[in-house]
Amino acid sequence: MARVPPPGSFIPDWHRCTESKEYFNKIIHKKKRKNFGLLESPVMPPHAAVDTVHYKIFISGKSGVGKTALAARLAGLNFPNVHHETTGIQTTVVYWPAKLIENGRVLFFRLQLWDCGESALRRFDHLLPSCKEQVDAVLFLFSFTDRTSFVDLLNQIPKWTESSHGCLAKVVVGTKFDLFMHCDVAEKDVRKFQETWRLPVLRSGGEVSDGLGDVAPILNCLAENLWHQDCVRAGAAIQHPQQESVTLL
Amino acid sequence: MMMLEDGCIQLLCLTASSGVPLFTRGASKQLPFSVIGSLNGVHMFGGGQGVLLSCCETEGGGKVVWRVFHDSVMLIAVSRGGSSGGCSKEEEIRLQRLLENVWHCMVLVLGQDELVNLRNVERLKRDLRSCFCLIDQLLEEKQQGVLGNLTHCADSLLPPNPTLLQEAVDGFAQAADSEFGCLFVHGRIAVATEKWWRLAPQEVVLLSALVRTLSASGSASCDYPVFLPQGSPTVAHRLLRFQLLPGADVCVLCGPTPSLHRAESELVGQLWSPLVETLRSCLSVGERSLPGSVPLRPDVLALLLINRETRRSVSCVQLSSYHLLSDPSLSKSRCWELLKLFYIFSMSRYFTQEETLCVSAEDGAQGGHTEDFLHGFSHQPQQCYLVTEECKSYGLQTPRHQLFLLMLPSVPTFALRTVATQTLSDIISATAF
Ligand SMILES: Nc1nc2c(ncn2[C@@H]2O[C@H](COP(=O)(O)OP(=O)(O)OP(=O)(O)O)[C@@H](O)[C@H]2O)c(=O)[nH]1
Ligand SMILES: [Mg+2]
Repeated sequence: MARVPPPGSFIPDWHRCTESKEYFNKIIHKKKRKNFGLLESPVMPPHAAVDTVHYKIFISGKSGVGKTALAARLAGLNFPNVHHETTGIQTTVVYWPAKLIENGRVLFFRLQLWDCGESALRRFDHLLPSCKEQVDAVLFLFSFTDRTSFVDLLNQIPKWTESSHGCLAKVVVGTKFDLFMHCDVAEKDVRKFQETWRLPVLRSGGEVSDGLGDVAPILNCLAENLWHQDCVRAGAAIQHPQQESVTLL
Repeated sequence: MMMLEDGCIQLLCLTASSGVPLFTRGASKQLPFSVIGSLNGVHMFGGGQGVLLSCCETEGGGKVVWRVFHDSVMLIAVSRGGSSGGCSKEEEIRLQRLLENVWHCMVLVLGQDELVNLRNVERLKRDLRSCFCLIDQLLEEKQQGVLGNLTHCADSLLPPNPTLLQEAVDGFAQAADSEFGCLFVHGRIAVATEKWWRLAPQEVVLLSALVRTLSASGSASCDYPVFLPQGSPTVAHRLLRFQLLPGADVCVLCGPTPSLHRAESELVGQLWSPLVETLRSCLSVGERSLPGSVPLRPDVLALLLINRETRRSVSCVQLSSYHLLSDPSLSKSRCWELLKLFYIFSMSRYFTQEETLCVSAEDGAQGGHTEDFLHGFSHQPQQCYLVTEECKSYGLQTPRHQLFLLMLPSVPTFALRTVATQTLSDIISATAF
């Protein structure tokens, strides 16, 4: 179960570099994140064309933990302050450019986040299998204001084993980190969890801002883990010419 | 009723047999428990005396409307009334319709069985939370340009090139093993398969409301279990929705297959990519809902046109600098409000309402809002008008259509009728609506 954490293979904070502007401009319109329909995607001019890699990510966590809010946040959309249960599956597409440290290659990640309300999952049997179909990663959510949601991770994570789901990238996100007055999960518990499970744990919370600063760590982390997993997968099959130069681990 | 803010509606839901509160929505300040109890009590008392209490009015112009569904769930709407300028009869109709719509929302999400066989009240209370999103939307009523909740006609947008889109929707539905497909543009139906139009009008309106909420969330696709209040109240179908372009959503109602993943990866791109430009031109029709080829006189402020056979409607508000010259205080939202009020005014007093403002029979007949003097006549009014400070309004109905038109006060009253008939024939001849 224990996994070596993936290497820092993408440039962190690349969105702050001037050279990334031409890529990030494709996902931003009038200082807001652009919403892409399924028939659209960011288009780079021919001389700067890059590959787009597609991934399906399932968001797991109990009702009210903030799954729908996180999906909206990652896409730069506002979410309502009142909790409305999600009564089915809702997917959100996020485009995110990233640059490999090793060879300077730029990729556009198309991350499709699959969010299903917990009570809907309970009431309808067909929803979970649909979320699992060809899934590449799971985002495990807990809320800093609800200890039971943190404890529940220990039940949730083992359900997603390699044998039943194949290779899966796993990332943990603690939501409602802004509500520190009501914090119910101590820092040392998080550290201990991180050491035991060797999974990245990220934090999110606060108002949705126009900037990329608060979503970049989560999106970069996801991108990195997904890419890493692809490399492992490709390495296990045949040597992929394009990925030879990627040093792993 | 002093506790409710002006114009605010509070909705109460209780079990019909024992009056256990299931939920309350609306107005930020909740009514005290004792008041809720009395509201339930007075209805029960009436029941014991063989009297069906359906509506009452308070001295301050507030209203309470009761309705029991399937002997299991009681819905009560309480409004302070007054602010929007409607009179008490209009308010009552609005509230009756609201209760009906709320019930349909509950069935859509939970299915009728769970609501009718009240086995476990605590569980039902928890499950009912899933309906709040839709119910809150009904209570807010702030969506401009959406009248379907009131008219029970599908808010539509008439695309400039319907044939291509019709073929695409038909083909897409078929590929998704479904007969029910629909394309929404700006939250209004642009084209739909023939079967979609055979759904009950309330269902079409309800699904439209659901799709609008889903679409507003900015998500790319959805797989939502839905029960159809008339067609399939106990077996859930899947509503698949795909955002093709921002503002353009295609939906299908289907069974167990295809999976959302497969429909999206194998069907959406393949069938819709060739139509991106067609979709964009459809999006550019915008809030007007009528293609640019349809002329509208500049002194028209707003219109609602209903096709009584297909149960579809188009509506728009046209507010230009020209209008603001005559009355700078006019706003878009006020025009929509006036249009709604004029619709209710005409429907409650003059026009036939067998297909619209009646209450479905199995839930107890509570219709009959037409003004009493009408019953003394052997004929049915076909046209009506109303002159107020803000605008002049004209309504007319033909066997196939109903038109509600708001015009600038500067239009001479004697010309209203000509403008209305002209507008009707212009739209019909240009769009075959
Ligand atoms: N302050 C704060 N509130 C949050 C945050 N994330 C979510 N919330 C709030 O928590 C509530 C529940 O969030 P949702 O995203 O709707 O919960 P969910 O996990 O999708 O719940 P289900 O759909 O029922 O499974 C909402 O009222 C959000 O506004 C956060 O990071 N900070
Ligand atoms: Mg949710």
